[in-house]
Amino acid sequence: MARTAPLWTRRRFLRNSAALLGGVGVMPGLLTACGGDDSASPAARSSADGSGSTTLTVDSWPIYIDDDPAEGTVARFEAATGISLTWNETINDNNEYFAKIQPVLSDGKTIGADIISPTYWLVPRLVQLGWLEPLPIDAIPNRANLLPSLKNPSWDPGGEYSLPWQTGITGIAYNRKVTGKVIGSMADFFAPALSGKVGVLTEMRDTIGLLMLADGQDPASATFERAESAFARLQEAKESGHIRRFTGQDYLDDLVAGNFAACVAWSGDVAQLALDNPDIGFAIPEEGGMRFADCMVIPKGAANIDNAARFMDFVYNPANAARITAAVQYISPVQGVDEALRQLGGEAAALADSTVLFPDAATTSRLHVFGSLSEEDEARFDEAFSAIASV
Amino acid sequence: MAGPNPGSRRGRFAPYALISPGLLWLLLFFLVPLASLARMSLSTKQSRFDFDPSFTWDWGNYADVFQKYGVQLGRSFLFAAAATVLCLLIGYPMAYWVAFRAGRWRNVLIGMVVVPFFTSFLLRTVSWTVVLADDGLVLRVLRSAGVVGVLRSIGLTDGDRLLDTPLAVIGGLTYNFLPFMVLPIYVSLEKIDTRLVDAANDLYATGSAAFRRVVLPLSLPGVFAGSLLTFIPASGDFVNAFFLGGTRSRMIGNVVQDRFLVQLDYPGAAAISLVLMAIITSAVLLYAKLLGTEELA
Repeated sequence: MARTAPLWTRRRFLRNSAALLGGVGVMPGLLTACGGDDSASPAARSSADGSGSTTLTVDSWPIYIDDDPAEGTVARFEAATGISLTWNETINDNNEYFAKIQPVLSDGKTIGADIISPTYWLVPRLVQLGWLEPLPIDAIPNRANLLPSLKNPSWDPGGEYSLPWQTGITGIAYNRKVTGKVIGSMADFFAPALSGKVGVLTEMRDTIGLLMLADGQDPASATFERAESAFARLQEAKESGHIRRFTGQDYLDDLVAGNFAACVAWSGDVAQLALDNPDIGFAIPEEGGMRFADCMVIPKGAANIDNAARFMDFVYNPANAARITAAVQYISPVQGVDEALRQLGGEAAALADSTVLFPDAATTSRLHVFGSLSEEDEARFDEAFSAIASV
Repeated sequence: MAGPNPGSRRGRFAPYALISPGLLWLLLFFLVPLASLARMSLSTKQSRFDFDPSFTWDWGNYADVFQKYGVQLGRSFLFAAAATVLCLLIGYPMAYWVAFRAGRWRNVLIGMVVVPFFTSFLLRTVSWTVVLADDGLVLRVLRSAGVVGVLRSIGLTDGDRLLDTPLAVIGGLTYNFLPFMVLPIYVSLEKIDTRLVDAANDLYATGSAAFRRVVLPLSLPGVFAGSLLTFIPASGDFVNAFFLGGTRSRMIGNVVQDRFLVQLDYPGAAAISLVLMAIITSAVLLYAKLLGTEELA
C-alpha cells in the first residue's frame, strides 16, 4: 500500500501535550517584546524585497500535508517552480499560536512565515487587528476551483484574505461496545444512561455550536444571549458529572478505551479510527453538525507574497489537492478532487466515493458554521466557556 | 566565624567574589523575573489583545484569585498534602528497609527507585490512563472487591470509575513524586550510625522506642526535605490533573495554564502564581518552625 492512513492526524498530534509544550512556545514570545523579530527565519529575511525571491515559508499543523520527501506536495511544488519551500509544523493550537505571533505582529515586525494556517474563526480577528495582507487574487487563477459553498464564507466575506486549506465536520463519535446503540442526536448524547461517559471538546466553537443547535439556535448568527441556554446546559452537565472530561484530540484514546461512550469529535479522525475499530461510529447529530475550515492567510509584512500566491495556486489545482486529501483525509475545499482521486487510482480512488470526504447536498445542508463574533462577544464567550471548561 | 586570614583585604572580599556568580544568577533569573511578575500581576489589559498590559496597581487581579479560583486553590493544597502524606507513608518504610535491611543490595535498590525516571514524566503519567481505564484490570478487581463503592461514598471517586477522579489525581501525584520523598529520607537514614541504635538497645529501649527516640529524630531532616520536594511541586502541578482528573478535579496549575495560554490573561495568571508562591512559602516556614530543623530551615 502506498501509505498508511495517518492515525495520528494533526489535531491529535499534540492537542494534549501542546498544553505542556505551549509554555515553551509562549515564553520566547514574551521575550521578543524587547528582542525584536527573532522568529523571522533567515530565509525570509534574505529576500526582504519580495521580487524575484526563491523562498517560501509556511507555518502549518503537524501531519497536515502529504509529506513524502520525493513525491510529496512540498517536493513537487519545489520541482515545478524552483522555489525553495520551508514547511513548518509549528501550529498545535490556535490560541497558543496566536499568543506566539501576537507580540511580534503587534510590534509591527514580521513573523517570518509567508503563509500561516489558522482555523477559520481566528481569521476575522487577524483581519481586524490589521495583521494580514490581502491575497493577491489575480495571481491565484486556480482559486476558481474553490467550492462554491466556501466562496463567500462568514469568516472572510468575499474571501479577500483567506483560502481554506482543509475543512471538516464536528459531530458526535460513539463507541457501540459501550453504548450498545447508535448515538444520533444531542438528545441521545445527554441521556442519563451516558452519565459520566461523555466528553466534549475544549475548542469552544465546536462544543457550544453543537449545544446551540440542540437548543434550536443557529450558531451562524451566534450572540452571547442566544448561546446562554447552551452555556447553562454545559454548566449543568459538568456539575452533574454527565460530562467526564473536556478534551483536545485525546478523545480518540478515551473513545477506544471505552472511557467515553460518546464524545464531540472531528470527522476525519473518526473516519480513520473506524477503519481499525468497527465499533466506533460518527454521526452528525439530528439537530445539526458544525463545519470548520483551516485557512491559508498571509501575515502582514510577509516577504514572499508572490511565492505564497504561487503555492496557493498550486494546491488549488485539483490534481495536487487530491494528493493532500489522500494523505490527510479531511474534506478538500477544492472542486474536482474526487475526479482527480479516481485518476490517481489504487487506494486513493476508493476515497472518491467516501461520503465523509465528499458529503452530499443533504448532509451539507445539516452543517453550520459558527458566525463571526464581535470582539466584545468573543471575549464573553471565551470567558464563559473557560469558566466551565477549564476551571 | 573566622574566615581565612580575616585581616587582609583579599580575605575579606574573597567570599563575596566566590558567591557573586550565584548571586548574579539569583538576581538575573529569580529576582528580576519575580519583580516583573509582581508588576504584571498589578497591571490591566487596555484591550483584549493587549500584549503589554499597563501597570495600574490593579489589586482586582488578586481579588479574582480568591473569588474565582478559591476552590481550585484549596483543592491543589488538599491534593498536594494528601500526596505528600501518602508519599511519606509509602516512602519512609521503603527508605528504611533499603537503608538498614538491604545489605549489599542497597545501591541496586535505591537505583531502582530512580529508574522509572529515565522515562518521560509525560509518558509515565499518560500510561496511568491505560492502567485505570474503565474496562481495565485494576478497576475490574476493585469493583468486584466492592472498594469502588466505598471510595465513591467518601467522595474520592466519581461514579463507577477511577480515571478522571480526584483519587486518580492524588494517585498520580503520589506516584510521580515518590522518589523525591524516598531519596532524601534514605540519605538521612543511611547517615545514622547504627551503634546509636545498639546503644539504645543496651539501655533497654524496645525496638519501637529506639526507633522513636533515635532513628526518627535523626531522619527528620530527610522527612522535611522530602516533604518539601513533594508538596511544593505537587501543589503547582497541572499534568496529573490534566490527564488523570475530570471536570471536578482541576488544580490551580490548570487554571494558570488556561489563563496564560488560552485566555492570554497575563495579569491574572501572574497574580495566581504569586498567591500560590506566597501560600507555599508561608506553609513551608510554618512547617519548618513546627519540625524545628535548623539544619535546613
